[in-house]
Amino acid sequence: MDRKTFIGNVWEVVKREIRIIRQRPLYLLASVGVIIVNAVFYLTFFRDGLPYDLPVGVVDEDHSSTSRNFAEQLNSTQLSEVIYFDDIHAARRAMQTGRITSFVLIPEHFNNDIQANRRPHIQFYVNSLYFVGGALSYKDLLQMIHLTNGAVQREVLRAHGVNEREIMNRIQPIVIDAHQIGNPTTNYGIYLNNILLPGILAMIVVLITVYTLGAELKYGTSRHLLKVSGDSIVVALTGKMLPYTVLFTILGISLELLLFVWLRYPLAGSVWPMFLDILLMILASQAIGIFIVELLPILRLSISIGAIFSTLGLSLAGFTLPVEAMPRWIGAWSAAFPLRHYYMMFVQEAIYGSGFSGWWQEVVHFLLFLLLPAFGLRRLKSAYTLQNYPRN
Amino acid sequence: MKTNYIRQWFADWYSIFVHELKMIFSDEGVLVIFFLGGLIYPLLYNFIYHNGLLDEMPVAVVDNSAGSYSRRFVRKLDATRECAVAYDCINMPEAEKLMQEGKVHGIVYFPSDYDEKIVRMEQSPLCTYADMSSFLYYKCLTMGCNFVMLDELHEIQAEHYAAAGYDAEVAEELIAPVEIDESMPYNRSFSYTIFFISAALLLVIQQTLFYGSSLLAGTLREQNRSFVSMAEGLQDLGVGRVVLGRGAAYFAVYMVIGPLVALLIPWLFHLPQQAPWWEVMVLLTFFVVDCIVFSFTWSTLITRRETVFVLFLFMSPICIFLTGFSWPQTAIPGFWRVFSYLFPSTFGCRAFINLNTAGGTLATIAPEITAMTIQTVVYYFLASAAIFVENKVLEHKEKIDALRDEINRRRGLKPIDA
Repeated sequence: MDRKTFIGNVWEVVKREIRIIRQRPLYLLASVGVIIVNAVFYLTFFRDGLPYDLPVGVVDEDHSSTSRNFAEQLNSTQLSEVIYFDDIHAARRAMQTGRITSFVLIPEHFNNDIQANRRPHIQFYVNSLYFVGGALSYKDLLQMIHLTNGAVQREVLRAHGVNEREIMNRIQPIVIDAHQIGNPTTNYGIYLNNILLPGILAMIVVLITVYTLGAELKYGTSRHLLKVSGDSIVVALTGKMLPYTVLFTILGISLELLLFVWLRYPLAGSVWPMFLDILLMILASQAIGIFIVELLPILRLSISIGAIFSTLGLSLAGFTLPVEAMPRWIGAWSAAFPLRHYYMMFVQEAIYGSGFSGWWQEVVHFLLFLLLPAFGLRRLKSAYTLQNYPRN
Repeated sequence: MKTNYIRQWFADWYSIFVHELKMIFSDEGVLVIFFLGGLIYPLLYNFIYHNGLLDEMPVAVVDNSAGSYSRRFVRKLDATRECAVAYDCINMPEAEKLMQEGKVHGIVYFPSDYDEKIVRMEQSPLCTYADMSSFLYYKCLTMGCNFVMLDELHEIQAEHYAAAGYDAEVAEELIAPVEIDESMPYNRSFSYTIFFISAALLLVIQQTLFYGSSLLAGTLREQNRSFVSMAEGLQDLGVGRVVLGRGAAYFAVYMVIGPLVALLIPWLFHLPQQAPWWEVMVLLTFFVVDCIVFSFTWSTLITRRETVFVLFLFMSPICIFLTGFSWPQTAIPGFWRVFSYLFPSTFGCRAFINLNTAGGTLATIAPEITAMTIQTVVYYFLASAAIFVENKVLEHKEKIDALRDEINRRRGLKPIDA
């Protein structure tokens, strides 16, 4: 086949595919519709960046000005909202039902014990099952208790005539000046959305690729496809994929623009490598989709495999639990997921702004994915010609 | 008459129940989702999150002070569970390069006057830089450094008071007039495994049940033999039988899969099992029934077999965030909180976490059980209404088809084969 007929045939397949997309609303619904729903969901869900006013229980058995002051101070922090409980049992029940993330028990004679230098114990309980809420409450409570300690010391030092600046130096001889590289405001939404939304796009790409290729078999239209493509599986696949590549690229670039330009998510490098990143992720995911259908030319099985693959990708990309914390034989598999490489390239470009030298290896990984479909071309062609696999 | 009706009801119910069971067990795709999906996901997640902890995270230190205080800080940091001091760098660019290469995930920087300031009794700052590519890195660096800082505060203050001639005991009373007892029940070490798996197990039940039953519903619709036509000949009164009969089939299957997921998996992987097995079974019963009518209602939207994955797979991550296991329930925006009431998992997962992992009782999870019961009732009526409407639509369509054929016949055309 010469070049002219090749391009001509691909164009015919493209036109055929566009007709299919127009006939069934499923394709646009499952791509454009799904990505819009997800973008709206995650961007509004995490809009605060950090949770505010977490319910924290206080059991005040002392009822003194010191204990009330402690609770009021805790209530005035941005992170906590105090709920009072009569006794420890009620507080424990509330924690068990997830109503509060933690509680503090201020014992009887707390104030008297402080005044008499008897060093009372303050107890706090944190429900660490609710990760973010638990960890934040823990941090807030720890800080409050140390402030309380400082306040007592301050009173004593004041009585000794020490000046305010020196008091502060005494109470807090060292301070930590914390910097968060790539997310200066410690925004949980920025952290998750940066990878979750491309992850959802990768999921859509795999599912739609598998579906559109498998549907040719299921509805017995594969021979027609081969006829249009001049009996070339390469032409057939190229033509079938092209409209989706264009569609997904538009979606991907819109996503990057939405995050980095419109919402101004922190970006140390430039937005162009991010466009490249998402384009390569889309191509790699399409290659994976083709490969799955080549291995299993039965729509219902390949779509199940595609579904399992896509959901695992969200975990194995390693942006929640890092790959090095997984068992080694599992962590090694993360390389098989395009989202993993998207994430690695994102870290280099968006967090460190390292440029080409930082992420060229990820590009090589992405390109390796593109070789995958070559291994099963013959198998897919025979399945398309013979239609010898069960349809349902 | 009355006994006749009841007998007929049970006969219909039974035949629909058996029919649906046969359908489930003769469909490989559904079996793969129910049995493989339902069991493979929990297994895989347990393997992935096996350790669940990020210990000894590598950290680089840039110590421009190089005095005894900064060295003591570094030594203590290395001793924490969270951090391991992996590199001692001469300057910041070197440390930054290590972080960019992913060799360290945090940097601790001591300015050259760190020790001097402490000795002069001035406030002495040190800087930390956290790799924010994962929040777990941030958590490790922050917790490790904060623990050491609190310890150092104590020690440095004690030294200062001793230098000022205070008695050690008096100094201690000044430095820490209040002692802290902290207790983190349920998940002491903030293990990712316990946190994630506890929430994910029941979600797997809901999602596989939904995908599987939608797959079957889609297949039947594709082949024009939707279960709604089963109500035919029952004068539109058979809707209850259809829902309850089909539901009973899924209930039978999921009363096998459910315990495997919610009881066997935690047992196999030594996850916390604080509740007696029968309390988990009570929760499962409410949850599975709720999931069944939920799936019946929403699967009305599925007209072809495989489309359920293409259209609804993305709902799994959304559902898990809606349970409030990660982003706290109280911080979920109002609209999404209302939206979350649509899903059984919102209540089921919370109830499971509180019951099985936090060791509550059935009384603890009563609010969730109540919510699931309300959902069940609402979804039961919605599922019945969906069947009723779909039946009407189908009847209507048949009439139209018959009319069209009639017209075509009169015009001398052959009837169109669908």
